[in-house]
Amino acid sequence: EPVLRDPAMKSVLKLSEQTADIKFIRYLADIISTVEFNHTGELLATGDKGGRVVIFQREPESKNDPFSQGEYNVYSTFQSHEPEFDYLKSLEIEEKINKIRWLPQQNAAHFLLSTNDKTIKLWKVSERDKRPEGYNLKDEEGRIKDVSTVTSLQVPVLKPMDLMVEVSPRRVFANAHTYHINSISVNSDYETYMSADDLRINLWHLDITDRSFNIVDIKPANMEDLTEVITASEFHPHHCNLFVYSSSKGTLRLCDMREAALCDKHSKLFEEPEDPSARSFFSEIISSVSDVKFSHSGRYLLTRDYLTAKVWDLNMESKPLETYQVHDYLRSKLCSLYENDCIFDKFECAWNGSDSVIMTGAYNNFFRMFDRNTKRDVTLEASRESSKPRAVLKPRRVCAAGGKRRKDDISVDSLDFTKKILHTAWHPTENIIAIAATNNLYIFQDKLNSEMH
Amino acid sequence: MTRLSKDTSMLGRGVKRKRSCLEELDAEVLPDAPRKVDKKQDVDGDRDRGDRSDMSRLQQRQVVLSLCLKKLQDYQAGMELSLRRSVLLVNTLRQIQDEMQSDRTGSPDLHLHSINPDSCLLRDDFREDLLVTCPGCAVGNAEGLSPSLFPEFPSQEANGSSEQHKPLSSPSCSAVSDATNATGYLSDLALDDIFEDIDTSMYETSDLPSACAAGSLWPISVSLWPDENMKPFCPTHASGGGLQSCLMDLNELDHIIEILVKS
Repeated sequence: EPVLRDPAMKSVLKLSEQTADIKFIRYLADIISTVEFNHTGELLATGDKGGRVVIFQREPESKNDPFSQGEYNVYSTFQSHEPEFDYLKSLEIEEKINKIRWLPQQNAAHFLLSTNDKTIKLWKVSERDKRPEGYNLKDEEGRIKDVSTVTSLQVPVLKPMDLMVEVSPRRVFANAHTYHINSISVNSDYETYMSADDLRINLWHLDITDRSFNIVDIKPANMEDLTEVITASEFHPHHCNLFVYSSSKGTLRLCDMREAALCDKHSKLFEEPEDPSARSFFSEIISSVSDVKFSHSGRYLLTRDYLTAKVWDLNMESKPLETYQVHDYLRSKLCSLYENDCIFDKFECAWNGSDSVIMTGAYNNFFRMFDRNTKRDVTLEASRESSKPRAVLKPRRVCAAGGKRRKDDISVDSLDFTKKILHTAWHPTENIIAIAATNNLYIFQDKLNSEMH
Repeated sequence: MTRLSKDTSMLGRGVKRKRSCLEELDAEVLPDAPRKVDKKQDVDGDRDRGDRSDMSRLQQRQVVLSLCLKKLQDYQAGMELSLRRSVLLVNTLRQIQDEMQSDRTGSPDLHLHSINPDSCLLRDDFREDLLVTCPGCAVGNAEGLSPSLFPEFPSQEANGSSEQHKPLSSPSCSAVSDATNATGYLSDLALDDIFEDIDTSMYETSDLPSACAAGSLWPISVSLWPDENMKPFCPTHASGGGLQSCLMDLNELDHIIEILVKS
């Protein structure tokens, strides 16, 4: 087939079809609500609806087994957040983990931030593989010795023990958000981070928990005037004074913290003019940006709204550089999707390490990848039925209802809208992706384990 | 497993839709840009197509409006609503409201086929009842006794300051627009309060689906428009408990209506 022989397609297909090595991890707990690689890609953290965090670690590649391409195995599990009750409002505060963000590693321990709707926590993940033995005042079981039996002194020594991963909460950043936290982002200065809820963004110092600095506030004086909320925000990867936030009206605002203490005035406003002929009752809802990500280079922004993924150039505010149709076949189904609430689903998006491919999820456990250079795209499925270890992922196709169908095509009307891939993550440097399909985590690795092209 | 609208039924009380009716509506109301581009088509044909698409658009508008209201009124007890979802729903509602208003005040020979002509009479009758308990409900709601669209509690502020949000207006609120706006944002249950006094028995039968869809819209549509002709109103409910009893009254009303219809 011409498509497979096209060398330009190779970069995307290499991951998905010809050489993919699939590891399917059955995640026995709750619905996964966030997935995040750390800065080296050695660790992968997932958060779930039950407030738990599971960290996977990549095994070092084994020389004996050529197929052991450094697979991910469970490293640690801990309960990050518990359900709480807000007595004032008589409302439950969900323990669901909305976001996890890793701090860059500065010593042997790893640190991550995890947040639910109201509270952010800093966790320290450290290994212990030695323990001291030979105490003078305690015996091997830890019982206090009778001092009279001690005849000589010894110096305790560290002896190896089975590896133990310890997780401890180091900071709790609470009571700073009236509304639901949707994003957290660590600054490139490695000292501060921001947390954003529907109407406000706060800046924190990682060491200080009893106060935060409000840097964006879009709450109107009169709540009846509220027409727009903050949906996502992120710091620039290199410039610690710049950050971006997206809104429910489809706009992006780039803010510079050097300009003012309260960054209500944006430095740049990115907005695509609406096509008046395409206006419908759902235009605003489908324009709401559900995720925003800076490219690794810091030069581009990737946004996701209900039907498309867009790449913006920071130097061009008037319109996106590229627009990718994720599932345009849903455009004629918006009324039904509005009825069953699917139109409010928030899909995330991701860049690959070289910013040449973007990825985002869709329905029916499909996820999509777009190669920005070749303009090729592929639809893949994350499911147990179609994936066996060491198997090759088969591209999928969705055809319009009643249209001509090839074998294995799926009709729009047969899509399962309860199987949504909202959370995806791409390894920072390699062709490894993590896909959260409800309560299952899939990790797809390129067998050749090569660097980005 | 959720599929697209094969058995759609939740469009308002008792309104059943034909299978894939929603999808037909979706398909008909696609942007008509291609039609505009092709100027060679005959004018009559265009007008027919335009009329049909107007009808579908109105139908879709009805559907979206009733869904919107239903979604705004539904809430899970004990769980906070998503502010983003609420804002998007209310914006959609406003857009439809504006369109309906401009339709009414716009071209006089515009035919609104799907609107029940009787509803115009009802609209005038209900004006006085519109502000029933709205400010009171706003007061009651702000005391935190029930979930609201946009929770607003000064003591919840992070910096702990006694920052005053919108101060609780006195029951004898003189700003009519405040009261009418309050129905939209501070209390989604205020909409139910409006319905409480309305005799909906004639709309609650499955024999009159269009009337049901259309008739129930008008009180809502008027209530969300600030109208200077409306009189200011002093609420009868002074305490937050009024909200709970409103809800209970409405449930009882439903129950009574069901019995009446079946008899």
